[in-house]
Amino acid sequence: MSAVLDPQGQAGGHADDHHDHAHPHGWRRWLYATNHKDIGTMYLLFSFAMLMVGGVLALGIRAELFQPGLQFVNPGLFNQLTTMHGLIMVFGAIMPAFVGFANWMIPLQIGAADMAFARMNNLSFWLLIPAALMLVGSFFMPGGAPAAGWTLYAPLTLQMGPSMDAAIFAMHIMGASSIMGSINIIVTVLNMRAPGMTLMKMPLFCWTWLITAYLLIAVMPVLAGAITMTLTDRHFGTNFFNPAGGGDPIMYQHIFWFFGHPEVYIMILPAFGIISAIIPAFARKRLFGYTSMVYATASIAILSFIVWAHHMYTTGMPVTGQLFFMYATMLIAVPTGVKIFNWIATMWRGSMTFETPMLWSVGFIFVFTMGGFTGLILAMAPIDIQLQDTYYVVAHFHYVLVAGSLFGMFAGYYYWAPKWTGVMYSEFRGKVHFWGSLIFFNITFFPMHFLGLAGMPRRYADYPMQFADFNMLASIGAFGFGFMQVYFFLAVVVPAMRGKGEPAPQKPWEAAEGLEWEVPSPAPWHTFETPPKLDATATRVIG
Amino acid sequence: MALTEQQRKSNLRLGLFLASLAAVVLIVFVAKIIYAGS
Repeated sequence: MSAVLDPQGQAGGHADDHHDHAHPHGWRRWLYATNHKDIGTMYLLFSFAMLMVGGVLALGIRAELFQPGLQFVNPGLFNQLTTMHGLIMVFGAIMPAFVGFANWMIPLQIGAADMAFARMNNLSFWLLIPAALMLVGSFFMPGGAPAAGWTLYAPLTLQMGPSMDAAIFAMHIMGASSIMGSINIIVTVLNMRAPGMTLMKMPLFCWTWLITAYLLIAVMPVLAGAITMTLTDRHFGTNFFNPAGGGDPIMYQHIFWFFGHPEVYIMILPAFGIISAIIPAFARKRLFGYTSMVYATASIAILSFIVWAHHMYTTGMPVTGQLFFMYATMLIAVPTGVKIFNWIATMWRGSMTFETPMLWSVGFIFVFTMGGFTGLILAMAPIDIQLQDTYYVVAHFHYVLVAGSLFGMFAGYYYWAPKWTGVMYSEFRGKVHFWGSLIFFNITFFPMHFLGLAGMPRRYADYPMQFADFNMLASIGAFGFGFMQVYFFLAVVVPAMRGKGEPAPQKPWEAAEGLEWEVPSPAPWHTFETPPKLDATATRVIG
Repeated sequence: MALTEQQRKSNLRLGLFLASLAAVVLIVFVAKIIYAGS
């Protein structure tokens, strides 16, 4: 068993073995966990479980859409499936997974012993469990799960059964968890870096998470406010969003998307950080344009606050408003382009090899860029008015969130898992996972562009015969994609957790840089107990 | 190694500042919406 699951098996290096006897064991180790590595592991396992739950809901959607007509679910349940799929994937899978990466890697990368607030870190994680149970359990409440879409638009939310209250409460709890996690990350990065690790020498993963954490602190309270107003509209006689009482449901959309668009970047910026670590390691070159990467990340974060209404072109806003949000949205392509070109420039004339993390990273650039381009197309008001709420939008955001966030996370897993588990994964299995996922992902979502362009609306359980072929193809792809993720867990993750595989060297990737490669594999339970002395580049420990 | 008292205080100060930042965002936002609706 690897040291990840068994601290007794830890290696030496920077570990302080005298701490070992104090480790809690068994369930206490996890329930009372304050170690950033343990909490990171729990976050990652939790988010994978939620990925599976959200994935099953997605397969329910795709099974129903395999053929025209109603086969498996009624339209009401179909809407519950789409709503819960979105909520679970966004709040239960992607966000916690990146927090898991942050917990594992940020202290290791900046030479800190742990996160700044270790007990709050424990609370941040354990709050997720009741929230997730409440969210998933809402399926079994009277009237079924919420069916208002993951955006929880009013006045639909005002017409739902008690499960909406459960979902709102769950999101409050998850939001509190996110804010606590963000505070922890910011304080850790700003206050706990090893001497010599200046901000502009910090790995880009830490930079992207620092900026993401600020975004979270700025927008999660807005979501909390909006859903609290929904709650008071439902139960306490207010009419913020209820048109029947003089409220304004369009205002809800403005508020939601003021949260929702930065949220999109919250889900992608940490992936940018992961890719920025991997590509230089496998191109055997320093990252091209480090400083511009930092500024581009900050620019994307700032611009994300002024583009929210591009989700709302069809609500009847003035043309000047449409123009503003259209140009502001297109402006985001500039810093995003800086990042894409920097990654390509890093690869240019590099001695590239294509181990699994690099395959995921190159795959990420390829498919994420496609999602970026369709985003540009959707940013244009005249086109978006045609494509609003069609499958083109569904294709776009899955190219960004699955091929962006999820592929970035898989890249990060294959890159850092040897450090976490102490064993190398099977390259063959990793490559099967990559190629299977890439092919099935495109089979699933590429046809959705055509469906959207032909006018198929999202969130409908049925469709005319003209859309049958592409839907059948998308459903086959979805089941294949789901199968590949089960394969990943059984063939890659489980063996690693059991310590099966070649022992991982301290630095499995010859050109990888960073303090995480200065500790043994698996990373000992305690690392950097005393602040390390760093070289001039802050990538090596010299004493 | 445990954090020094100075580090602990510095972390706490920054943490409380960030938490109050989140609280201010929430309060200003809710106040703005209620004011705009009245």
